[in-house]
Amino acid sequence: MDFFVNWVSVVPQFAVPFALATLGLIICERSGVLNLGAEGFMLVGAMIGAGATLVTGSPHLSLVLAALSAGTLSLLFGFLVITLRVNQVISGLTMVFFAQGFTTLVSTKMNWTNKAFEGIGKIDFGPLADIPLVGRLLFDQDIVVYITILIFIVVAFAFERTEQGLRIRAVGENPEAADAAGVSVVMNRYFAVFIGCMLVGLAGAYMSVVVSKIWVDGMSGGRGWIAIALVIFARWRFWPALAGAALFGCVEALIPRIAAVGLQVPQYFVLMLPYVATLTVMVWASLGKNSSGAPGALGKPFVREERN
Amino acid sequence: MTKKLMFIAFLASLFTGSVAMSEGFKLGGKPNPALVIFSQTNDGGWSQALDEARLRVEAELGLKIPVVQNIPENATAIRPAVELLIDRGHNIIIGSAFGYSDTFLELAGEHPDVAFLNPAGTTNSANLQSFYGRTYESQYLCGMVAGGLTKTNKIGFVGANPFGLVNWTVNAYLLGARKVNPNAQLTVVFTGAWNDPVKERAAAEALIEQGIDVIGQHVDTPTPQIVAEEKGVYGTGHHRDFSEFSSATQCSSAWVWEEYLVPEINKIVAGDWEPNPWGAFLSIKDGGTDAVGFGSAVSDDLKAQVMAERDAIIAGKHVYAGPIIDADGTVRVAAGEVLGDGDIWAMDWFVAGVTSQ
Repeated sequence: MDFFVNWVSVVPQFAVPFALATLGLIICERSGVLNLGAEGFMLVGAMIGAGATLVTGSPHLSLVLAALSAGTLSLLFGFLVITLRVNQVISGLTMVFFAQGFTTLVSTKMNWTNKAFEGIGKIDFGPLADIPLVGRLLFDQDIVVYITILIFIVVAFAFERTEQGLRIRAVGENPEAADAAGVSVVMNRYFAVFIGCMLVGLAGAYMSVVVSKIWVDGMSGGRGWIAIALVIFARWRFWPALAGAALFGCVEALIPRIAAVGLQVPQYFVLMLPYVATLTVMVWASLGKNSSGAPGALGKPFVREERN
Repeated sequence: MTKKLMFIAFLASLFTGSVAMSEGFKLGGKPNPALVIFSQTNDGGWSQALDEARLRVEAELGLKIPVVQNIPENATAIRPAVELLIDRGHNIIIGSAFGYSDTFLELAGEHPDVAFLNPAGTTNSANLQSFYGRTYESQYLCGMVAGGLTKTNKIGFVGANPFGLVNWTVNAYLLGARKVNPNAQLTVVFTGAWNDPVKERAAAEALIEQGIDVIGQHVDTPTPQIVAEEKGVYGTGHHRDFSEFSSATQCSSAWVWEEYLVPEINKIVAGDWEPNPWGAFLSIKDGGTDAVGFGSAVSDDLKAQVMAERDAIIAGKHVYAGPIIDADGTVRVAAGEVLGDGDIWAMDWFVAGVTSQ
């Protein structure tokens, strides 16, 4: 029972990076921009989050700065794929390689690598955390866990109930129709890419500022790629994305705990589990009778019809 | 045609390596070393240890040794970097990675008057020697510290991947702990990555939840030590003295490459350098690895015991001396025997008392 409580109570800290990154990607992609650069935006967020914490001493401010940095970099990505209409797959991958080099360069020059700092700790709710079973899960978490839930509520509401949300969905599903209706495809896509990549950057910053409290090169460790798979798993919907992130958080939190209690499970089989889950979900998603759920114009650059 | 001839000459040199070696290696010109690193010199661990050794070699030999960083482990990156260094007159090339092995072997064949040294490499020739430390010796000493510090008799270890050179540190760690504390038990968690602080934190936290109060490690970031400090338990580091990162760290298995590199470069200069065809596998006695940075929690008595074992190892004591029984009950080293180097590199078992996946 202790094992279960310990396990479940740490799941949020593993789920949050997946949740925020997946949400950010869904926002991008619902506007019709395929974003394969998640790993790169996460790295930038993680590096700036740690660096800003070391420089300013304020981890909370650093989360904001990290999100803004990833957002700023996303404008370059947006310029490539929205304005110049470069192939979105290639541009996304390019962003990953660019971010890998960029974060290594900057953190080396600034001497931010391998510098431990205090970061953001858990919120103290006093006796509430002692409630049996769920006390630690609900009341022994850091502030970002609660903010993540809030962000999901806000984004889901904005997409379904506001005019801006409708505009983004429109340019992602049928940009020609949206354009004819006077909705700016370019501006709405830039907006979605900016907001989405800010969230991906925040996911990275959470890993460095809250979870590991240190920056090391390449520390996102493939989680950006898993987020891309989670988007397909969630069929571009918000709440399934949160569920998927929680599932992956469970697996990632479980792996070391199986080993620590000495259960004889083959090492590489356990390490393989998240990827098996990803594959299973993608196969399941493509076998479904309904469509994959992908936005109609995903990955297609918008070219306004020529008028003579 | 010349290329073909060179290739044949290269192949011939492979087969006649021992003959070439007996003729002795002659350095072309004055010693002019350079260090080629696959990552950055500020990684806090492996590469930084090499770079710190570089500075100490510079000071001791009065040489200027430039360092080239971020040369990934593939031939298309290594070759131009090393050839540029050789063009600029560098005649002792020091590498940094397992992944340099094959390219260094090729380059050594093409540049017979240049000496190549490669830590963690697997290839050797008339002018190339790979080297690595017998880290099971230094980790055995760190394990003694862990065994002396644990109150719960439960020790944890965060490893990267379960293969020979990680497994031998895990086993040695428990053997060391049992030297001072026969009741010690060790639980090891492998993260499957060398450089993932999120996974390392998860592993360390999971171990501490199980009542572990000392954490050893063989991963590249100091994260397990940082977690140990947060949770109020002790730890021991790897690569460098990790007390730099965490007050929990009471001892570290650190690289002291300069103790190997200085005499080796002197031999190269003197003209009596003969690379070992199996590479140099360095004991504490040879330099390479050592237990350093004893913390304030280590009592004088415990430290004296550790130093006595260190002296014994330098005098020839083997950490893997029989009888050693593995976790399944198989006798791995019979009484009165010691484990050979080949079996050490191939170690795929854990000693009794180690809990692993």
